[in-house]
Parts: sequence; C-alpha cells; structure tokens
Amino acid sequence: MIRIFNYFLIILIFLINHSAYAKDLLITNAKLVIDEKTFKENLVYTEELPTDYTNNIHENITIYQSMGARGNEPITYFFKDTEVDEIKYFLDDTDYVIKNAEGNWVTSGIFAPFSHLGMADIGGEDLTNDISSPGSSTTISEKASDSFNPQSVFVANNRRHGITHAVISPAASGNSVFAGTGSIVNLTGNYNSVVKERAFVLAQLGEKGTQYSGGSRSASLLQLKEGLDTANCNNDRTCRNSLERAINNINKNSYISNSESEFLKRVIRGNIPLIISVERAIDIIRVINLKKTFERLDIILLGASEAWKVAEQIAENNIKVMIDPHNNLPSSFETVDSSLKNIIILDEAGADYAIANLSALGLQGIGTLTQHAGNAVANGLDWDKAFAAITSTPASWFNLSLINNSLVIWDGDPLNVTSTPTSMFINGQEQSLESRQTLLRDRYNPINETEKAYKYR
Amino acid sequence: MVSVITINKINIGKRLILVGVIFINSCGGPRDTKESIAFQSTYAPNLSVTTLITNAKIIDGTGADTFNGSICIDQGKIKKISSYNVLYDKIEKVDINCEYTNKIDAKNRFVTPGIIDVHSHLGNYPSPSVTAHNDGNEITSPITSEVYAEHGVWPQDPGFDEALKGGITTLHILPGSANLFGGRGVTLRNYPSRTVQGMKFPQAPYTLKMACGENPKRVYGDKGGPGSRMGNFAGYRQNWIRAQEYQEKRNSDRTNTSRDLQLETLADVLDGKILVQMHCYRADEMAQILDLAKEFNYKVTAFHHAVEAYKIGDILKENETCAAMWADWYGFKMESYDGILENIPFVHEAGACAMIHSDSDSGIQRLNQEVAKSWAHGNRAGLNIKKEEAWTWLTSNPAKALGILDQTGTLETGKRADIIIWSADPFITYSRPEKVFLDGQLLYDKNNNIYPRSDFRLGYGVK
Repeated sequence: MIRIFNYFLIILIFLINHSAYAKDLLITNAKLVIDEKTFKENLVYTEELPTDYTNNIHENITIYQSMGARGNEPITYFFKDTEVDEIKYFLDDTDYVIKNAEGNWVTSGIFAPFSHLGMADIGGEDLTNDISSPGSSTTISEKASDSFNPQSVFVANNRRHGITHAVISPAASGNSVFAGTGSIVNLTGNYNSVVKERAFVLAQLGEKGTQYSGGSRSASLLQLKEGLDTANCNNDRTCRNSLERAINNINKNSYISNSESEFLKRVIRGNIPLIISVERAIDIIRVINLKKTFERLDIILLGASEAWKVAEQIAENNIKVMIDPHNNLPSSFETVDSSLKNIIILDEAGADYAIANLSALGLQGIGTLTQHAGNAVANGLDWDKAFAAITSTPASWFNLSLINNSLVIWDGDPLNVTSTPTSMFINGQEQSLESRQTLLRDRYNPINETEKAYKYR
Repeated sequence: MVSVITINKINIGKRLILVGVIFINSCGGPRDTKESIAFQSTYAPNLSVTTLITNAKIIDGTGADTFNGSICIDQGKIKKISSYNVLYDKIEKVDINCEYTNKIDAKNRFVTPGIIDVHSHLGNYPSPSVTAHNDGNEITSPITSEVYAEHGVWPQDPGFDEALKGGITTLHILPGSANLFGGRGVTLRNYPSRTVQGMKFPQAPYTLKMACGENPKRVYGDKGGPGSRMGNFAGYRQNWIRAQEYQEKRNSDRTNTSRDLQLETLADVLDGKILVQMHCYRADEMAQILDLAKEFNYKVTAFHHAVEAYKIGDILKENETCAAMWADWYGFKMESYDGILENIPFVHEAGACAMIHSDSDSGIQRLNQEVAKSWAHGNRAGLNIKKEEAWTWLTSNPAKALGILDQTGTLETGKRADIIIWSADPFITYSRPEKVFLDGQLLYDKNNNIYPRSDFRLGYGVK
C-alpha cells in the first residue's frame, strides 16, 4: 500500500505490514539534524526533495521509526508540522511509543569509524586486553567480534555519549602487517550486538608497520602485496604453490595460509574494505598504486596525517580516508606535515572522509568523537559534512544505513562539547543512558543528601 | 622498635625545622648561594607596546560575573581594567587615562586571562617523539629528586607553538611519573625562545614531582623495588627521613654542609620553598599521602591526574590541597578505572581547589573545551556552577598551585597582561583564540597570520 501525503509538504510512503513484534516509535517536536544524503537514502519515496531539506536543521519534525515489520528492516519517516493524530492515521491501529523531543536536536546515532571498544577491560592489563595477539600465528582470520564483550563498562559509558555503533578493530602485532578482521557492533550491550562480523581487514604500514614485517617500509609493503597476491591466486593451486614457495624463500613472515587467504579474497574482490594504516604522503601514493594491480580493492586509509598533500590523487582513485582532525603535530617523521587543514583540503578535493578519534585513549573513549567533529567545524569544515563524517559516511562504507537503526535526542548541538544525549534508540528500542560512570556519579554527587554510608547508596 | 626510632627522628626533625626558619629570618633573607643563582631566568619579553583593548566581554578569572569593559596594558602589565555598561559612547570617557600606541576593539568578543596548564611535558617529551627525545623521566632509580625537568626541555618543541594558538601562556613542565621522587618541575612562559632560561617564569617557585601507585611499582618491581604500594610508601618515608637529617645539618652549618642535589630538593620542600606536585589517581592513596605529609611536616600543593578526587573533596578541602584533573580520561589502567565526567565540578562543589590539566600535547590546545565539558556535566548532575567559576579551573587555580597567582591567572590591575581574545564564547567548541598576548606582547594573531614557528618546522610543508 502506497499513499502519498501532500498536505504537509513531506511525502511519505507507508508500506509496512504492521504485524508488530516490537513497538513502533514516534518522536515528535524534533529539531531534526540529518545530512541530505542520509535523508534522501532513507526516504522511501519522494517526488522532489523539498527545499526545506537543503538545509540541515529542520524544526518541528516528527519522526516515525517503524520496527513493526517482522523480517523487514526498520524504516524511518519524516513528517513536518504534522500533528500526532494525523500520523496516527498512517500508523493504523499499531501500538507505538511516543517520545516528545520538546524541540530538541534529534539525530541519527553516532557511528565510531574506528575503535577497540569492548576488546579490553584495562588496556594496561595484558590478560584483559584482546586488542592484539603478538603470539598468534594466525592474523587475517582473527575476528575482532570474537574478542568483543558487549557488557564491557566502556560500552555503556560510551553509549551515554551518543555512540550507537562502532567499528571495532584488532591492532597489528607479532610478525605480520595484517592485524586481522574487524567488525561492526552496536552499543545495546546485548549478546547479539555484533552487526557485522567480517566488516574489513586491517593492514598496518608506515613506521609502525615496519616493526611487524622485518624492519623497513620495503618489507612491509612487500608483505602486504604478497598477501594480496596469494589471495588473488584464488583456487589455482599452481599459482598458490609457486607463490608460497617464493614467499617462503624470501620472507617467512609473508606466508599466508589457505584459510587466511580465504579472508583476503573478499578484500581483493572489493566485497569488504581493506583499511590500511598509513601516514606519510608518499606511502599513501604507494597504497593508491596497489589499485593498479588490484583494481577492485576498496581502500580506506587510516590516520593519513599527510593526506592533504595528495588529496587529489586520493579523490580521483576513490580512496576513503579516516582521519583525526585534532592531529596537527609532527609526532613522528612520517607525520611532519600533520595539519588542521587536512580535512578541509580533502573536502575541497572531493574525497570521501570519516572523522575518528585516533588518540590512544580515544580508541576506547570514543565518546569524544563529537568533539573531534566539532573541532573540524571550528577549523572551517561545514557542520553537516562534519556530522556526516561521524554518522552516515562511515556507516555507508560498511553498507549500513544508520538512520534506520538508531536515533539520539540531545540537549543541544551534538557537536558542541556542552551537549549530551537525553534519549537514545537503537533498532527502535530505547536504550539506557545509565552506566558505571553515572552510578559512581550518583553515589558521590555532593548534592546527594542521603544519610546512608557510601557503600549503601 | 623500628617505628619508635622513626618517631624520635621525626620529632627531632620538626623541632629543627622551626629553628631553621628562625635562623634564616634573622639573617634577613636567603643568601646568594650557588644554588640560588643557577639556571636563572633570562625571560625578556618586548614590553614597549602599550595597548588598549576596548569593548571586551571580560571573564577576569576571579570567578566574578562577566562584564563589559576595557583593558589598558602598559609595560606588559595590566595598568587598568575598567568595566562599563554596553553604552559604547562611554568607552572613551572610561579609557581617557590610558595612553596607548595600539588600540584593539574586541567588538564584544570574550576576553579572558591566558590559560595555564599545570601539567605538561612539552619540551621534555617533544615532537617528534623519537627515542632521542625521551628526556622527561630519569628511569634509573626510584629516587631522582636531583634532576631538573628544565634540563630536558627542548625549546624548539613545535608543541609550544600549537599550545599558544590554544591560548596557553604559562605551562608547568614536570618530570614523568616512573619514580617516587621524579625531580624538579619548572614553570615556563610560553614565549618563543632559543633557550629554556628564556622561557623560565621569573621567580616562580620550583616544584617537586612525586608519584603514587602503579607506575613506580611497575617500573621498579623487578629492578630492586618498590614492587608494591607498601614499598612506595616505605621509599617516601625513608627518603624524607634522610631529607630531615640533611635539612638539620644544612640549617646548623650551611657552609660546611657539602651539597647533595638529591637531598637539597627534598630539604627545600621541607623548608616550604618547593611545591610538591604529586601524581596520584586513587582517593584512598591520596588520603594516605596527606598523612605522609603530616608525618614529615610538608605540604602537598596539588595532586595530579586525581581521577578519584571526587570521592574525597572534603579531605582535599581540609588539607588545602588542589586537584589537577582531566575532563574525561579514565579507564586505561586499574587506578584510573573509576573516572567520572563530573570529577572537576564535584571537587569544586566540595569547596576544594579544582583545576584542569592536559598531560598531552594535543589536549593542551583545547583546555577551554575540556573545562566546558566538565562544567556542563556538573550542572547536569544538579550543581549550579557559573561559567565564570568554572573558568578558575583554567587560570587562577593552576596559578595558585604553581605559586604565581600574584602575577598571572586573573585579569587584575598590576598583573602580567596574559590575555586571550576569543572568536566567541570559549565554552563553545567553535570558539578559538583569535589573539593571544603574553606580557602585553601579541604573540598570536589568527586573522593576521602572526604565529611562532619552531626551527623544526622549517623545510617541511612543501606540497
């Protein structure tokens, strides 16, 4: 059943069979913040994008997120200046949850493009830390999702900052530039919160990569190429055998087993991205050149402090970039040209970029992601582009559409440090914003007037 | 029986401290010793420009409400700061007594004191962070009170320049936290200079870095100890006893006491000349350190990293000890596991001296945002802290903890003209410093492309 509702400008489609197993969600009086791309992708049908939506902040919007269709993906609808009663008309007799946003900002959930969330309890305590496996002989086939603890306190602590989804990644270690296979999780804390098990493979080049491949850039790039070559043999035994023999003779570290190369095949075919951690401009060019041999590689550069120097090549070759807009110091010789203008120049060149918090503590403390995006704005990036860089842009790289899954209501501009979420929905379900941190807060709050001793609060 | 002997020594030490103070006072002040003239500050800013900043929205750092006013700068000092109502035509009248060569219309922008970072490793862990640059921690013994942070500071660290763009005018460089007694810290003006001496804050007291908890016991656990928190405390106590003996000897006969750099620093702490800055995360551990300080009759000026300070705000207040905190760093090691976003406001609310610190070459560039975050979280938790009060976490409280509040940290007559003009409200992410003055000298002007550039930066950036 398709109806077109013209009366309030916005056209919406209603095609879900409401044999609801989860309650529908209706958010009213929202100041909707969503980038145009996400908006277009999530409108099931529209004759023409109304001019109101070329700006990114839309007042008095009502959002209806349906979780009603068994087996179907949830779909979000946008209404403007629509009374609740009229929406009810579309909802038929479905039971739904109403959340009044009271004129506050409503956005899609924040998608952390890179993290180690839930992979360590205490980074400094080895036994609790599963981010890397230096003693393991497997590399590519190890999945981050198998180390993920959805009930890590960091999950709830970061959910409180508006993060609904996160890329989780292993880190390189041992004798391989390949770190392993990364995954995507949501922050519900549920046991089924892995959204995508095999989302990408990560390889480490640059200064860090040299540590895992014998000591030089030449060796690490070779190891990466040989891994891809091996996978490229597909099932051609002659190709594999000769390559493996050659690799064995040259560099034992580069040997990639059958099962390992199975994981790389998806990368070669471009089914899942290959994230390559790299900083220096010339190293980025070398990575871009991989596409001459492996045309279908879907490459995402991680770090890329000097990307601005080769921004045009990056854009021309459809290479994606995950950068931290706070990075501006020559922390190492491969980042001597780090600059706050990195993201601005990439944007001008038309490159596809996501914003990540790549500082050491940021990899678990991803809640500051909105601050990093806010600072990109402070340095000259458009607000909507910065916001897309922590929501729809990275989500789309992994074939996820965020708005369908998650919404956050904020008490102010989400990219401003003084703002925080007041409500969150993942898969249409309202999430708790309580965490170990808020419980400690409440126990020790100076305005807590209870007579009870601390341990009894 | 050991404890009895210890207590006897302490009692002797305490009596002699008092004797020493009387002796020094009777001589009319400290003598010009080799110790007191070593590595003196040669800081020499250009004080020739007199400036009038008008039409400013001033947060003066005292905690007072924001007011509209003007600031008259002469000889690098705030000669006069006046407030007026927004009526523009009154400005000239108010400012009539200010002779200036340079007039800046702040156009109703926010104007604040320059930011002071009480915990930085710029210069002693500089960029690029190659191994040759690891000069911040003498990890050869748990007791290294003989080392001075300034001897490991590279004034060409590009981080100083980026910090200036974030409004940092004064910063305190500390040795690292591997050792129980890490060495002397130094307070620097963020002034472009070829030498560390050219950056040293004139007459700022030295500080002593000490460390609690996990770091010393981890680093020395298999190198002869300490290997536990018990060993940490034994190490502090044994060395304070040595320091008391040295202090006693030095006070009774200075000329015949051969200098011991290690004990000289500790004895200067006992004499109240050096301020103790102590790395400590856990609440229970901070409380024990305060008892240690009572045992040896010295003061802990500030706890740094103090992730659990919110649990003992009352104890910090009672001991007049400040806490330097992050807005949201926590969880990277066990002793930082209980970090909360409301730490700073909760300590403030308890009436203790609270402040932000960076410990980071990146975080130092945006300390205003770190304070804004904390402030918002505190008020969300039910507190009612004004922005102006929260501003004290950035400038006046750090100045207090470094013993330089009489010179900087607030915008008041007679103080150094360390001033930031912001593009907008500094509690908003999108606001950045537009102009930064150090002693009245304009060192950073965003819109006119005035900024310092380290020697290291030259030759790069070629596209």
